[in-house]
Amino acid sequence: MGDKFELVIVGGGTAGWMCAAACAAKLDPTRFRVRLVESEEIGTVGVGEATLPQMKDFNDFLGLDEIEFMQATQASFKLGIEFINWGSEGDRYVHPFGTFGRPIGEADFFSYWIRAHRAGTAAPLSDYCFPIVTALQNRFMLPSGDTNDVRNAFAYAYHLDAFLYARYLRSWAEARGIERVEGRIVAVEQDGERGDIAAVKLASGTRVAGDLFVDCSGFRSLLLGGTLGVDLEDWSHWLPCDSAQAVPSVRSEDFTPYTRSTRRKAGWQWRIPLQHRTGNGYVYSSADISDDEAAATLLANLDGEALADPRVLRFKAGKRKQAWAANCIGMGLAGGFLEPLESTSIYLVQMAIMHLLALMPSEPSIDPALPAELNRVMDVEYDRIRDFLILHYIANEADAPLWERVTAIDLPDTLAGKIERFRHRGHVQAYRDGLFGPPSWQAVFVGQGIEPRAADRLADVLPAATVNERLQNLAATIADAAASVPSHADFIARYCPAPAP
Amino acid sequence: MTNAVQRVAVYGGGVAAAMAALAVSRAFARLGTDVVWIDTGKEPAPHAALVAPPDLATFHRLLGIDEAALIAGSAATINMGQQFARWSGGDGAFLHAYGDAGSAFASLPFVQHWTRARQAGLGVALEDFCLAAAAAKQGRTGSLRESATQQAVKQGWYLDAAGYARLLRAACERADIRIVSGAGAVVHPNGGRLDRIDLSGGEQLDADLFIDADGALIAALDPDGAAARPGFCDRLIRGSAPAFDPLPLYGRVVAHSAGWLAMVPLADRTAIEFAYDSRLLSDADASGALAATIGRAVDAGSPVALEAAARPRPWVGNVVALGPAAGDAPPLDGGELLLLQLAIAQLVLLWPIDRATMPEANIYNEEIAGTWARVTDFTAQHFRLNARIGEPFWDAARAAPVSPELASKIDLFAARGMFAHFNHEAHVEDSWALVMAGHGVIPRSFDPQALLVEDRALMAEFQRQLRAVASDVHAMETHAEALRRMRG
Ligand SMILES: Cc1cc2nc3c(=O)[nH]c(=O)nc-3n(C[C@H](O)[C@H](O)[C@H](O)COP(=O)(O)OP(=O)(O)OC[C@H]3O[C@@H](n4cnc5c(N)ncnc54)[C@H](O)[C@@H]3O)c2cc1C
Repeated sequence: MGDKFELVIVGGGTAGWMCAAACAAKLDPTRFRVRLVESEEIGTVGVGEATLPQMKDFNDFLGLDEIEFMQATQASFKLGIEFINWGSEGDRYVHPFGTFGRPIGEADFFSYWIRAHRAGTAAPLSDYCFPIVTALQNRFMLPSGDTNDVRNAFAYAYHLDAFLYARYLRSWAEARGIERVEGRIVAVEQDGERGDIAAVKLASGTRVAGDLFVDCSGFRSLLLGGTLGVDLEDWSHWLPCDSAQAVPSVRSEDFTPYTRSTRRKAGWQWRIPLQHRTGNGYVYSSADISDDEAAATLLANLDGEALADPRVLRFKAGKRKQAWAANCIGMGLAGGFLEPLESTSIYLVQMAIMHLLALMPSEPSIDPALPAELNRVMDVEYDRIRDFLILHYIANEADAPLWERVTAIDLPDTLAGKIERFRHRGHVQAYRDGLFGPPSWQAVFVGQGIEPRAADRLADVLPAATVNERLQNLAATIADAAASVPSHADFIARYCPAPAP
Repeated sequence: MTNAVQRVAVYGGGVAAAMAALAVSRAFARLGTDVVWIDTGKEPAPHAALVAPPDLATFHRLLGIDEAALIAGSAATINMGQQFARWSGGDGAFLHAYGDAGSAFASLPFVQHWTRARQAGLGVALEDFCLAAAAAKQGRTGSLRESATQQAVKQGWYLDAAGYARLLRAACERADIRIVSGAGAVVHPNGGRLDRIDLSGGEQLDADLFIDADGALIAALDPDGAAARPGFCDRLIRGSAPAFDPLPLYGRVVAHSAGWLAMVPLADRTAIEFAYDSRLLSDADASGALAATIGRAVDAGSPVALEAAARPRPWVGNVVALGPAAGDAPPLDGGELLLLQLAIAQLVLLWPIDRATMPEANIYNEEIAGTWARVTDFTAQHFRLNARIGEPFWDAARAAPVSPELASKIDLFAARGMFAHFNHEAHVEDSWALVMAGHGVIPRSFDPQALLVEDRALMAEFQRQLRAVASDVHAMETHAEALRRMRG
């Protein structure tokens, strides 16, 4: 093996096996040796079932077959997230994987919608969005491929069993030369001036040495947080939920091609339909509700029989101050955690992997520009998501103690002023990198009751009658197109039926 | 819209005022917005020329300015890029062309493969894989319907500044914009806003929004808002030399011991800008140095001060400063027109809803500050990366502080041939790659995913790309043919 660059991945959860699979696909085995250490005794978190459309890019990047992947993970399709009771009790809206409307004139569609909405002549924003209209009827199709067709203007993601996904990637990666090492790490050896990690030692006495370590050890953050002492930047003053109860239930009739998030007294509840069951959970602030009451609330709000007892998970919102320190990169829960309100964790793993592959050192002495860049871009990713999550929290009725507190917090600088700008003219900054472009902000703002008082003046150029006519035509086209789409359940049964587990 | 902006006054002269008046009028006259241009009569400096980056071509379509008029009215020639000569000490030169730095393959940017091959001993420069660069050097331009390289070739313009200003003014007149003389005008600020401008003829012009292309309006509202930015040269001589024949498709920026010299090819002359540091080269010796650098006689004006002021908050109250009033653009890479165009486009995008409050000012100032910073970085890289070791001017330029963003861009490219991109980038990655590689930065390592391509396949791909570049160049038209076609 001698000259090969030795990469050691610590942890075999979703993060560890995604990273291993990417290495198997993209690193030259004559120059890189990749090993993954995991402990069956410790196990994985195993929740993490809702994803973003970027996951399809990741699977394509590996070269996975979509049908096989969906069958192996009991996956269903996802066109967005429905938010219930967010804003105020009884409200509902969908944050879709797609944009609103399509070009009408010189201004962007949203500006025309604001104008017509102010004049009382517009339908709800969601009526101009094909993935929302389709999703709410529990229908699904793949994008049509014709760029003139409204049925092409969306992306989709998956709901999947994260445990099965990790298992699937494991066999895929092992078949391509990744070496798996079973065992519990009991000690970490460091050397060098920077305190580089030299090796991890297992309970069995085995020593696994490497040039570069990827810490995918979960919340423990064994190497990055533990050995290297990289602290968590604590964001819990903005995002106070610190616990979750998770429980699977029997698949119900309501086989939604979307995730559902329902705001509750002390947090919110998720509902994620898979082929073989429905995943549910209550994310809450332990200061505002007891574990028992949270579990009872969750169990009282399932639409199918519970298949297990609720399981408690504890966490803290934040990210490690550096994703890459010395010769160690933390990803997944070892790198940070943001609650699953926008299904962003697996996406963050994916981004860390993509950046790591491109910035992979070629020799044990690491060029400092490489970690500097990875840390910079991961900070951008985390900050964007954090601000977008905070937005969901602050735009609510203060109808319970938790909601009284979060609606009155001091905002991060990067978020302050955004709400006022949106109210003034529907302004959303379009930034270069990171998640959540203008349509996402528009969906959440409008969905949670923050509406612009005016629109871009260029939207006033067309006569009102023309704008109204184009809006009506578009809504009708979308409604007709949606009616032609098969049901989500039928589509799955035909396209990628998974065997009973 | 009861509180809409109804009356707009543009104050200033030359290119910036005319372009702003025209753009605003074309966007908002349809909504009943009235635009007056108070012309201060300030004209472009004698001999001045403008380097228009490719983005301007799109902007011209919005302004309704066609190619034939440009060619006829402003001695325009096609700009495919800028050549930088003697920036690394010897006589070497490289071309920053507006196009792709090689064609991506195996899902990776070409630069990654090129870096790998350089490490294995390849001697071919990055720009040799760039169709736009190869074409420009061989006097070929235009777009191909069927291209072997599939590479983008973008074109900007070289423009005579006075001619271009006249052309824009004529377009304003055609658009029925009222133009009044600003000679002897008196400005009346009041409580953080501008009340009105009194013209010498007695007319009192009040407006909801004032666009200041001169600097007098913003200075009246925010007298302490301008700050000096460090610059390398403090003197500039503009001049003209006979036109090149055939007309080149790129301009040239030549480094000399006390500064730099830019040659801008126009249809009827070559415009010259000679910038220097007066501590190293006296004004008395400068014209001699200019003639020596260029190798022939130049019809030149006398030295003027080269300023580098910045105005971090160009929109204050109801006054938006743009063009020279917003600060002095970086002197190379077409920064002046690029920033002007981006500022006008941003203003149209953020056109105020409510003439009484205009909270858009904060958004605008943030966006423009970001854009200025990135555009300034692009030009700063030349000075940072120069390799004229042992010359006081250039040693100081190399050591001068740069923004943290530029520092990380250079570090990352030098380490890995990748790009640290930020918000508000105004230049594409391939432009950065061509310039950094041109200045001699060869990345120390490359993306290991490139190793999945076998050595032999890599060499074959390189040969294929070089052949494709050659055959595409062969199929393109000459500069003269292109100008004739566009003249119609
Ligand atoms: C309540 C909740 C809901 C979530 N919902 C979503 C969602 O909807 N969408 C989404 O994208 N993400 C979600 N996530 C996040 C998602 O679960 C994780 O990002 C993902 O599972 C990755 O986990 P991981 O691989 O980092 O860690 P883990 O799954 O914890 O894996 C850790 C690995 O490290 C190994 N290990 C640890 N210590 C040792 C040791 N000493 N020796 C050897 N091996 C060791 C373990 O054996 C295990 O293999 C959710 C998370 C939580 C808490």
